[in-house]
Amino acid sequence: MEDWRRIDIDAFDPEARLRPEDLVPNYGTTITLSELQPKISQLRSLASSGDMSSAIQLATSEPPYSADEQTKHQYFLAVLEALAQTRQTDMAKVVKSLDRAQKDVLVKYIYKGMSLPEGKKQGGILLAWFENLTQDSGVNPIVHYISDRRTV
Amino acid sequence: MDNSVLAKFKLVKGPIYSHCFSADRTILAITCDTKCYIYRMQGANSPPKLHVTLENHDKTVTAVDISIHGRIVTCSQDRNAYVWEPLSDGTYKPTLVLLRINRAATAVSWAPNGYKFAVGSSARIVAVCYYEQENNWWVSKHIKKPIKSTINTLSWHSNGVLLATGGTDGYMRVFSGFIKGLDTKEAVTNSPWGEKFPFGSLIREFYQGSYINDVEWRSNLEKIAYVAQDGSLNVADYQGNVQSVDAPEGLPYRTVVWVDEASILCAGYTRHPVLFTENNGTWGFSKDFNKTSEGIAKSINSLDISADDDETANPTFGISALKKFKELDLKGSVSASVKESAHLNAIVDLKVFNENNGKVSQVSSCGLDGEIVLYNL
Repeated sequence: MEDWRRIDIDAFDPEARLRPEDLVPNYGTTITLSELQPKISQLRSLASSGDMSSAIQLATSEPPYSADEQTKHQYFLAVLEALAQTRQTDMAKVVKSLDRAQKDVLVKYIYKGMSLPEGKKQGGILLAWFENLTQDSGVNPIVHYISDRRTV
Repeated sequence: MDNSVLAKFKLVKGPIYSHCFSADRTILAITCDTKCYIYRMQGANSPPKLHVTLENHDKTVTAVDISIHGRIVTCSQDRNAYVWEPLSDGTYKPTLVLLRINRAATAVSWAPNGYKFAVGSSARIVAVCYYEQENNWWVSKHIKKPIKSTINTLSWHSNGVLLATGGTDGYMRVFSGFIKGLDTKEAVTNSPWGEKFPFGSLIREFYQGSYINDVEWRSNLEKIAYVAQDGSLNVADYQGNVQSVDAPEGLPYRTVVWVDEASILCAGYTRHPVLFTENNGTWGFSKDFNKTSEGIAKSINSLDISADDDETANPTFGISALKKFKELDLKGSVSASVKESAHLNAIVDLKVFNENNGKVSQVSSCGLDGEIVLYNL
């Protein structure tokens, strides 16, 4: 007997199929690297001046969801730099200063960092951030992360 | 511990995906595997008595609903729905409803007047079905656009026209389920949701981004409550405003019911109902029912793991399971002192059990553990 379980029944459906882009929210406009550059520079200068609270707050506000992968990567590198420059003793304080939406974004960058070679070099620091975040707000940001289709 | 659990019935071995009471709360219908079991309620002290088994479906039955006239509708992953007409001898006469869908049916709900019902499906279709006298047949009309993914849940407004749906595409949408000849225009005159309601038109949509697990109308307030997989409870109104509250324990809710005009009960993966209330226009967490915090706290104290262990800081991280296995390992049995919540697995469906003047005093829940639990609020 033919293995009917493996038949792609969508192929026989004349109506449009569900494409991956259908599930991504419609952002309207796309942010480009040149538009994002001032924010990246500001983030770098805040991080180098040692004002980590402001740096992380800026990094986790309005992340470039609508940008292409390359732009997202450039922004991610700047965020990772800021995350790596924060002293472990300051992390809890910084996490406390973030609001709910910012914490959701922070967890996205932590996971993104863990999945990329650049971030793996900072693995210990990312884990420390993760620990501080879960101690502050439990599993909430993680549940949000799992179900959120806006990627950084 | 609080005394919120009124009764607890272990009815079947498998998960119960959906349950429903008749209008007078004497009959209980549950779905399990490919069958739908009909029980007669015997009060809170004795378990419900199995009355009939409805077994026409050949795949998992996903939802059941009972109309105000006592008709039962079931829908299943076999892509069919059956309407079960109660006969005078206590049995039920099945009628197949041709839904014309190519994927599983996932949710079903009778309109308040009991003359039509809506079925949600994985085929990105909501089928609104009604009985046609001339043909002696249940007809189904489709709402397709702009649904992009599986429909998880349905809820009718008390006017029987507005239909709220939620699905895995992350949208909570309000459609018109107006059927000519069955519904009257008077039902929706002065409705704040719009002027005209042709069948299938999209009235409003609210983007949530994650799976919508359950929606529920509060018709007299013209508001809709919905819970999503990101662990949030949301309340939407006709002006397009949405208020969002996070679950205090983080885990998502699967089901939601309105208790009164300013309180909503949710339940899900935390295995106990949680009450949210509105104060000065803002929704917020109010209280837990049947929560097992005592049991968790005790088990932490009695555990001889080092105090600086990360998990002690956050006791929700599987500590009770750890203790259980530790005891099984050392003593070969689990000590009885660990109090567990009434449900041992996720709650997937809440229904109103007792209501007076728009205020709900008792609710029932069913869960993946095969139990029905009645709660006092």
